[in-house]
Amino acid sequence: MTEQQHIRNFSIIAHVDHGKSTLADQFIRLCGALTEREMSSQVLDTMDIEKERGITIKAQSVRLQFKAKDGQEYQFNLIDTPGHVDFSYEVSRSLAACEGALLVVDASQGVEAQSVANCYTALEHDLEIVPVLNKIDLPAADTARVRTEIEEIVGLPADDAIEASAKEGIGIREILEKVVERIPAPQGDANAPLQALIIDSWFDNYLGTVVLVRVMNGSIRPGQRIVTMVGQKNYVVEKVGVFTPKSLIVPALETGAVGFVIAGVKSIEGARVGDTLTEQDRPASQALPGFREVQPQVFTGLYPVDSSDYEDFREALQKLRLNDAALQFEPETSQALGFGFRCGFLGLLHMEIVQERLEREYQLELISTAPTVVYQVITTDGQTLKISNPAELPPVQKIADFQEPVISANILVPETYLGPVIALCEERRGQQKNMQFTGGQVMLRYDLPHNEVVLDFFDRLKSVSRGYASMDYEFARFESGPLVKMDILINGEKLDALSWIVHRDVSERRGRELVTRLRELIPRQMFEVAIQAAIGARIIARESVKAMRKNVLAKCYGGDISRKRKLLEKQKEGKKRMKQVGHVEIPQEAFLAVLKSDKR
Amino acid sequence: MNPSLKPSSTFSLYVHLPWCKAKCPYCDFNSHAADHIPAARYARALIADLDRELPRIWGRRLHSIFIGGGTPSLFPPEIINQLLSDIRARLQPLSAMEVTLEANPGAIEAAAFADFRAAGVTRLSLGIQSFNDVHLQRLGRIHDATAAHRAVEKAIAAQFASFNLDLMFALPGQSTAEALADLNAALKYKPPHLSLYQLTLEVGTPFASHPPAHLPDEDTAADMENILRSELDHHGLGRYEISAHARPGQKCQHNRNYWLYGDYLGIGAGAHGKITQVEGIWRSRKPSRPESYMTDALSDMETLGEYTPVPPAERPFEFMLNALRLTEGFSSRLFTECTGLDSLLIEPQIRRARREGLLYADTEIIRPTARGMNFYNELCARFIP
Repeated sequence: MTEQQHIRNFSIIAHVDHGKSTLADQFIRLCGALTEREMSSQVLDTMDIEKERGITIKAQSVRLQFKAKDGQEYQFNLIDTPGHVDFSYEVSRSLAACEGALLVVDASQGVEAQSVANCYTALEHDLEIVPVLNKIDLPAADTARVRTEIEEIVGLPADDAIEASAKEGIGIREILEKVVERIPAPQGDANAPLQALIIDSWFDNYLGTVVLVRVMNGSIRPGQRIVTMVGQKNYVVEKVGVFTPKSLIVPALETGAVGFVIAGVKSIEGARVGDTLTEQDRPASQALPGFREVQPQVFTGLYPVDSSDYEDFREALQKLRLNDAALQFEPETSQALGFGFRCGFLGLLHMEIVQERLEREYQLELISTAPTVVYQVITTDGQTLKISNPAELPPVQKIADFQEPVISANILVPETYLGPVIALCEERRGQQKNMQFTGGQVMLRYDLPHNEVVLDFFDRLKSVSRGYASMDYEFARFESGPLVKMDILINGEKLDALSWIVHRDVSERRGRELVTRLRELIPRQMFEVAIQAAIGARIIARESVKAMRKNVLAKCYGGDISRKRKLLEKQKEGKKRMKQVGHVEIPQEAFLAVLKSDKR
Repeated sequence: MNPSLKPSSTFSLYVHLPWCKAKCPYCDFNSHAADHIPAARYARALIADLDRELPRIWGRRLHSIFIGGGTPSLFPPEIINQLLSDIRARLQPLSAMEVTLEANPGAIEAAAFADFRAAGVTRLSLGIQSFNDVHLQRLGRIHDATAAHRAVEKAIAAQFASFNLDLMFALPGQSTAEALADLNAALKYKPPHLSLYQLTLEVGTPFASHPPAHLPDEDTAADMENILRSELDHHGLGRYEISAHARPGQKCQHNRNYWLYGDYLGIGAGAHGKITQVEGIWRSRKPSRPESYMTDALSDMETLGEYTPVPPAERPFEFMLNALRLTEGFSSRLFTECTGLDSLLIEPQIRRARREGLLYADTEIIRPTARGMNFYNELCARFIP
């Protein structure tokens, strides 16, 4: 058992692609925790999607033994953190479990907004931050400029930042020595009542719910009767262990340790991230601070392309939910799309990940409706309603005040691309709050309506800045505005899946863009198809798809039957994958049109 | 099995001769470019093939023969002569049997037209495609306009009982005026039959993988077609099938038999056949590579090619794929005889199509309307099981 003063708990704060996973792999390698054969690259990211996208979704931890040059053996608990704004709450819980963090910055690209935000969170938790300049082997590396950025944007001294290359194995030992030297050992009282922070929990088919904790005070061991202080759920501890990164059962998790607890928890609902574990018999006086309910920010309807997949879809959602407390869903019906679910997500990335998992792991083909943020409506009789589905909007005459969520966004962008980024923010009804010039980048602060961001803002930001701009945001407030519901009509029938709440000032432009795009996506049919955008009874844009002139095989003789049959079957198969609205067949891509309503 | 399944009243023989001088980039038929054709050996293989088929069509009288390809006119007339005699010796023909031979307007072939006539060919089908040198070239045809004209003249001089000209429209870079000029050039010869096809990029052809530039768009092609077909009508060549026009009494009996879902034997490399027997409908397909076809046909193998039954569920679609091509339509009795199925089975589709103005239907006859012919694919697809 390691003495408390020989424990170091830390995280790595880094932007996607800045080399966090590679660095973690190097630590594991240097500490000899796995054999070379076991070292599949990027050990900490377990899900396929994480590996492919290079994004960490679930927090993971690994315990490493490091022999420092002072001759002492140290226990490192490296806690991996999710790397995207959608998961910022999980990041804050991971950081709350640490005494320090490595800020890893790509020496060629410089500081980026997400890392800045995470650094601020780390500083709020009084974490010691050790800056690391990674990728110094790249020809484009500019350590002087990046040091300036760290000092000016993050406000950390960076003269002693370690120069490293995770890929080439440069500076790895120096980093670990610095961890020993700079990051404090956990405080905590080993004799106090148990207080353990839940960093993460996930469902494992063999073990049930695995709860990852950081023990703040006291200790946790098998047989102990525990309780979640916010959720008020009682359990008996069955096993405790650590990841090395292989899972290893240990006799106890002592004060300052990070590890997992198996306690017959039925689902992750029973041990929510941010909650505190204590003993039933000797409870702590209060829960650890910072717990909050995670609320979905973005909602969309998801529908199986093949309606007979509905039950499979429900089951798949239930299974995913076992591991994803932020995922919400409830049944919904659409005239156009049939039976599906209204699903709530933390953000668009979260939505994409869930959709991808449903499609990849459960072989479901899905259509999504226009994603929407959560609006607030004050009715004439004084009720406050949260609206996450345009269809639930009360009649106009009942709305006293219609409010949209506004986010506060921090954008970091190289000076060269400042113009286009400002233009983009202005086009999206942004209000500039601050602009600060630093080394090579400009820090912009904008208040932006969330619904202007949710669709394609990230893509556009990346495209106008050639991938250099980065952004972080948080919910700021609800703001009243002239918001309206825009409907799309196909040959006079409302296509409910494409109804959309927009600001009156941009509604006509959005309506025009959308019908134009739909005109391109809806194939010619046996009759003319009228596509209209309407606000209430007022048509604001109209396009039409001309009728198909003919669909006929010029030749068909005796021997042709099987070939011609294949051809027609293929045509028919293509149609089956379309959704029928009235008599009009609409391809799936049309439902995504709303996602990409901006012209290049 | 349903007792009402009846072998068709008409019965045809298709003979496939699979060689061409060069393969055209739009063609998806089983054809092979060759300088030398093993005509005599192939003819022996054809008869050996036919001999194996005879027990299946015992007693049925032959209504038509169609020698297609490939370019059958590349075969020496004496071989065709021998082939037709050998066929007549095995299958009892009707007195006025139609015997069609497909021909291309090359110089050598045209010289032999009279000899084909003498061999017993009653109808020549000429693959003219266009009378415009530029368009012929774009289609990858090896003949030019002069050869096309000469071929038609030779065909007329040979005094076939009937002849057909194949023309194509919506060619790369073709204007409506040019298409009309092609048609008028053909009409000058007062052909008894004319087939007018829109150029189609068939799957698996060079044109499909590398579409030619400047193809007329959907609307232009549709306008073009309307103009061309009414011009044909104007000249007494009424449309009787999606692409085929004929003067009264000059419809192609052989093709009409296909379209009425009649029975036919197919002999030759890659040839398909369809025969109704009391216990069911069978499709046959012969090996498609000429060399292996000949080897197998001339061996002592008991059966040649594959024979597959057409299950009842698939019959309505197959029937419609054929019958809905004809302007004359079909009777529900014909449907029942050809498929062995109650016509109530297709009632819902027929009723819906009638409501949509795609079909005309009364107690006697069901036939596609002009709009129905334009949406033939859509109509047929509704019968896919």
